[in-house]
Amino acid sequence: MNHLSEEDLILIYYGEPGASEGAHAHLAECGHCKAAADSLARTLDLCNEWSAPAPATGFERSVWARLAPQMDSKRRSWSIPRGWIAVAATVVLLVGAFLLGRGSRAPQPTSSSQSIMAGLSDEARARILEISLADHLDRAGMLLTEISNAGDAGSLDFAMERSRAQDLVEEGRLMRQTLARQGASPTLTFLDETERFLLEVANAPDSVSPREVRELQQRISSGSLLFKVRIIESNLRTQGQKL
Amino acid sequence: MDHIPIAQGDEVAIDKARRGDPDAFRVLVERHARPVFRLAFRMTGNEIDAEDVVQETFLKAWKQIGKFDGRATFGTWLHRICANCALDHIRARKRKQDLQVVPRAESNGHGDEPLARVATEAPSPERLALSSQVTAILGPALGELSEMERAAFVLRHYEGLGIEEISAALGVQPGAAKHSVFRAVQKLRRALEPVMNLR
Repeated sequence: MNHLSEEDLILIYYGEPGASEGAHAHLAECGHCKAAADSLARTLDLCNEWSAPAPATGFERSVWARLAPQMDSKRRSWSIPRGWIAVAATVVLLVGAFLLGRGSRAPQPTSSSQSIMAGLSDEARARILEISLADHLDRAGMLLTEISNAGDAGSLDFAMERSRAQDLVEEGRLMRQTLARQGASPTLTFLDETERFLLEVANAPDSVSPREVRELQQRISSGSLLFKVRIIESNLRTQGQKL
Repeated sequence: MDHIPIAQGDEVAIDKARRGDPDAFRVLVERHARPVFRLAFRMTGNEIDAEDVVQETFLKAWKQIGKFDGRATFGTWLHRICANCALDHIRARKRKQDLQVVPRAESNGHGDEPLARVATEAPSPERLALSSQVTAILGPALGELSEMERAAFVLRHYEGLGIEEISAALGVQPGAAKHSVFRAVQKLRRALEPVMNLR
């Protein structure tokens, strides 16, 4: 058997399943791999020196003091990100301003966004578009994550998720319009794919059954939709940082 | 508020909280706030952000407690929520930083990085020197991990979650969670190599 890969050694260190067949037996007999495993363990053990500070005395009380006033209403629904609409509006303004900077006539940015964007270079506008796209995917990812993690005990109030999906569809169309002007790209294709799913959510009833939730979860899982969202979002942010 | 004995498990408090009893939820907050804070701190790297994440975690837990199905322990369920809140928090923070275009070189490589807080109980001079080197070398490397790599590493290394649990917590496929852990470990190993050679 060949020597163990670093991945195998990491899995063995953490006691995870999935190491190559015979990896444990090989490790017991091979001095080279044993040395590599010991080296990995020393490094990871060193990371254990990083411990979180203990919160101050009364920490629990202060958490509760801040939390209690926000618990006045309790509804059985998924969470609603604060400032959702404001953030979406900002994205629309930024994309609109991007289009303005590229000489487009549509959509119509406000005078404030025009003044903010006036004088920015093409590079700066490209960066703003990438950040806006990444933010859009971030919000789409949050919605997908919540749907993926929804339990299956009884019908779920879906009104807020529908509304969020509708906002995302509108926002996504602006993004696609902007990207389409730059020609076909994998990101554009992916936005099309994401929109098809979001449209399903946007057109769902106010209350969905566990079966319908499972179907949505299956759609997310079978197309690795959430994973792709995270990867493309991460790539966009990396590109934005390089500019 | 009904008395809920400390020795009792979380079940009674969860059951009452599900029925909308805020006092029962307070019991859960008091029992779990510190472990949640530890995870939030490790993921965000500073106490102020960690306290915000704790707050967001419990608020979300209160709103979603009807969906807690008991398949995992309440603590595990809370940690999943916390991990996602921390990821959202980190992303929001990065967005702000991106828009402010703060040059990275302005950081001294210590202050905001998690390893600036390496614990040094009864520190010997050698230990202090080692901690200092670890902080100086690994701190920036931790900051270079992607949010997913950092989250997966913290959940695996410090919280002891298995790959399947990490994938559920972060909403990604198990393969993606596993490779995030691999990449994080590989990057941290490379970063720590100079320190390890001195030991």
